[in-house]
Amino acid sequence: MDYDALMSLAADLGYGLLASGAEIYRVEESIQRLLHAYGVAEADPFVIPNCIIVSFTTPEGQAMTQVRRMPSHGTDVDLLERYNDLCRHLCAEQPPLPVARERLDRIAATPRTYSLPVLLGAYVVGTAAFAFFFGGTLRDALCAGVCGLAIGLSLTAMTWLHTNLFFKSMLGAALSAFMALCFVHTGLGDHSELIIIAAFMALVPGIIFTNAIRDVMAGDMVAGITKIADALLTGLAIALGTAFSIGLTRLMWGV
Amino acid sequence: METILIPVLAAFAACAGFAVIYNIHGPGILICALGGSLGWLAYLLAGALWEDIMQTLCASIVIAAYSEIMARVRRCPVTGYLLVAIFPLVPGSGVYHTMEHAVNGDNEAFLDTFLHTLGLAGAIAVGVLLVSSLVRMWGIFRHHTTPKEGRT
Repeated sequence: MDYDALMSLAADLGYGLLASGAEIYRVEESIQRLLHAYGVAEADPFVIPNCIIVSFTTPEGQAMTQVRRMPSHGTDVDLLERYNDLCRHLCAEQPPLPVARERLDRIAATPRTYSLPVLLGAYVVGTAAFAFFFGGTLRDALCAGVCGLAIGLSLTAMTWLHTNLFFKSMLGAALSAFMALCFVHTGLGDHSELIIIAAFMALVPGIIFTNAIRDVMAGDMVAGITKIADALLTGLAIALGTAFSIGLTRLMWGV
Repeated sequence: METILIPVLAAFAACAGFAVIYNIHGPGILICALGGSLGWLAYLLAGALWEDIMQTLCASIVIAAYSEIMARVRRCPVTGYLLVAIFPLVPGSGVYHTMEHAVNGDNEAFLDTFLHTLGLAGAIAVGVLLVSSLVRMWGIFRHHTTPKEGRT
């Protein structure tokens, strides 16, 4: 058994899972199960949101450790499902390590993502539907859709520029709130409040918050508290961005 | 009828949109969208009995249970379905009004809405937590009671 290859396989699988937004306990369990399946009795993966440490002792008694630093990342459910699926197959079938390695590399090499127009279309549909959801009129929904489009574009551009989450949320919120207020001022939209809240839904840290709670529940306090702080900061950023736009429009029009 | 149908349909469309944003493919989109509208239906129905924090709690329990079932059926991580289906419950308007009161300098209303928003977020969390914990306990119970050779 080539334990170096096994180590890098386990660490890479854990890295892939964590990078696609898996919960902490899922990453730890997956690494542990994989190592057990390949005959390592003593394995101790330790995962926090931006670091993976895998350590095990080979049956010959040699201790091995690998550390992976995780940059900030989003959520990619499709990638998460594929990594999770691969992990289950590897644990059940235990193919030779080069084969397992190749299957892991194939997932990373063939990402299934939507093209930018489809993604922006999804932003428009999502935010416009939320405007209806909150009781808005058709005109509100159209305005919210345009604001959602602006959020989608600015998020994509800023992800491309590697901007941090706080600034991304603040700018997105400021932009969409400003547009919403302009729309209502020019008479295109009916309720600025509804449009802003609907466009908000593309920014609010609901996902981080739910994930954080799941981590706390699983006993991963460090991860949970980090993510709750993340969610609170993002919420603050959205509030600041919107407050900025409201203040600006009040200065402009003196409403 | 209209007061139920329109929000539920809107929740469906909204969740479908956000499922695409979180890179969910194929039938997963439909599952998320159904989960979102099911959760909102539960929210509206619970409105006959309770106020919004309890309504949110009921809806999040329904969504979490639905997501756990779907995850078992499709043998996928539960996260993907749960995260998107929970979207309609996220207190976006609470965050907005909190901010609005803060900008206006209305401290009393600010604190009031802020605590209420935290309550709503807490209700989502408690609902999800409750279902996940029960599912985990059930899994471990099954693990203990199943004979060793029968395990998969």
